[in-house]
Amino acid sequence: MLTKQVTKEELLIVTAARQIKNGDVVALGIGMPILAGAVAKNTHAPEAVLLMESGIVDFEPCVLPVNVADATCTRGYGYSVDLFSVFTTIAYAGYLDKAFLGVGQIDKYGNLNTSFLGTPPAAQRITAAGGAPEFYAYAKETILTMKGKGFVEKLPYMTSPGYLGGGDEREKSGRYTPGSGPSILITPKGIFKFHPETREMYLDALFPGVGVDEVRADIPWDLKIADPLGSFPVPQDEEIVFLRRLSPVSSFSNTTGKELVMAHIRKQMEEKATGR
Amino acid sequence: MKNCRPSKVMTAHEAVSRYVHDGDSVITGNYTEGLPFSLLFEIIRQRKKGLTYYSQSGSADVEFMVAGDCVDKLCTAFLHKWGGRAAGGMVERYQRAGKLQVEDYSNFTYNARLAAGANGYSFMPVLPSIMDSDVFKIRDYMGENKFGVVRCPFTGREIPVVPAANPDVCLLHVQRADKHGNAQHWGGLGSTVHACLASKTIIVSCEELVDFDVIKSSPHHTIVPGFRVSAVIEEPYGCHPSELPGYRNPDMTMLRFIDNSFSSDEGLRSMFDEWVYGLPDRASYIKHYIDVFGVESLNRYRARSYYSAPADYGVAFESGWDTYGQALLLGVDIAGLEQLIAEKGDLVDVD
Repeated sequence: MLTKQVTKEELLIVTAARQIKNGDVVALGIGMPILAGAVAKNTHAPEAVLLMESGIVDFEPCVLPVNVADATCTRGYGYSVDLFSVFTTIAYAGYLDKAFLGVGQIDKYGNLNTSFLGTPPAAQRITAAGGAPEFYAYAKETILTMKGKGFVEKLPYMTSPGYLGGGDEREKSGRYTPGSGPSILITPKGIFKFHPETREMYLDALFPGVGVDEVRADIPWDLKIADPLGSFPVPQDEEIVFLRRLSPVSSFSNTTGKELVMAHIRKQMEEKATGR
Repeated sequence: MKNCRPSKVMTAHEAVSRYVHDGDSVITGNYTEGLPFSLLFEIIRQRKKGLTYYSQSGSADVEFMVAGDCVDKLCTAFLHKWGGRAAGGMVERYQRAGKLQVEDYSNFTYNARLAAGANGYSFMPVLPSIMDSDVFKIRDYMGENKFGVVRCPFTGREIPVVPAANPDVCLLHVQRADKHGNAQHWGGLGSTVHACLASKTIIVSCEELVDFDVIKSSPHHTIVPGFRVSAVIEEPYGCHPSELPGYRNPDMTMLRFIDNSFSSDEGLRSMFDEWVYGLPDRASYIKHYIDVFGVESLNRYRARSYYSAPADYGVAFESGWDTYGQALLLGVDIAGLEQLIAEKGDLVDVD
């Protein structure tokens, strides 16, 4: 049932949350992935094992963390291990069902750039590699989320290889978990999937109020469109209520959220300065 | 008898002046949480120069170190995007201006360098997919030595490898330690243990200094043994505004305040006179925080306790004698043992 008003950010988070099945072992990163994991665990996937690369395994997010070893995630968790072992004994050994990755730039075969918007060292930075290359290579499946309009014909820097040149190139290389790779990309405009043979990205569903032309406007290649288009999941009250309890600021866009928080801090400082 | 377990307790000022030298390689041991800000601010105040700094998390720690003009080379796996899309944080501004060399690894390959260093290997195999990534192909100051490729003698497969890293100094902040340097930490481990054990000198700051009795009843929390540690600093709030399980959440007020400083031309430098150079130690930093934001703000992020279940290390016997005074396995008392020795022992004349 849905009685609440829902923001665009909330719809994206719920869409990501629905990708997690009960019982999945899932690697999460900071931001939307954590929110999605928390929503899933508190609604349809209570037995999911959520983990972060810092070695916090089987945890229950209760507050929005700001980093991957955040103390807000260590109030009760099942397995404390080091980062090296997360990538070897969990991911590379084949026990990681899903990984969530945030995307800076992506090409049509799901190769990712989270490092530089040009050639280093002079280029503008995105962030850097973090855990992305190895999670993307060894999780059985990866769910991608992208806030910006980072579709490009050719990546200036390939941080994390996806389907490489498409087709069976990834499988044939022998360097990846068989059958792995991105299954879905969620952006503010819609949901994208990858063709099972060509591995080319296509538009699978649109979010409310968005037309195909608006999606095409961001994409430098001739985007293929599913026929018929799929649908986006309609959030339920329990998901929205939980999400707002976990992170009240996450209902807003990043910019609006930052402005609201900074306004609150300024108010605190003024009150302090005027001795109230 | 010589005291082989001296107290290593000192101030942050003493530790940094004694153990951190211009041109050293310095690593922050903590991975994204518990960042050793008191020690980092001390390095900046002492104006150490030409450091090669290892920071896996690339959080506010590296922004302060770079803004303090302490760092020539940075080895990292992630950089938080401070300061908005276009301007970026201090690392990005310095890198783009050619004032800082940055070598980018992934979290795993960064950790693998330390795992090699900690274990005494000269290199460490890493996972093969990295060979398709520009993390492997694009190289900064490490050049040819950023990655190598070897052939597995058993399968014949190509295996990418990274060289060992052995930083000169590791900075670590933990919940508690004793005066000998036995350091106990719980929470997200990341590559913390490898970072410490790979390093030649380890400086530990802790929220609380405890007796060895506390350490020995909870050895599963000891991540670095005292014999590897050179200095111990009791430094409450030593990682503020970063968080520490059992003590506090990230101080979002301060972190937002830091983030906001990047909007000025000077970026983070605009905070230095007031927050770094102007405050001689951690106690004065916290006092200043209270003056600016109020004690309510500090306390808002304080942790409410959630205790670990005690682990029972109890044993049946604490010597070779049972609780009834009978020798284990022999079933005699002291007099009985001495009688047995007289009768059956291979006695020697030592007078």
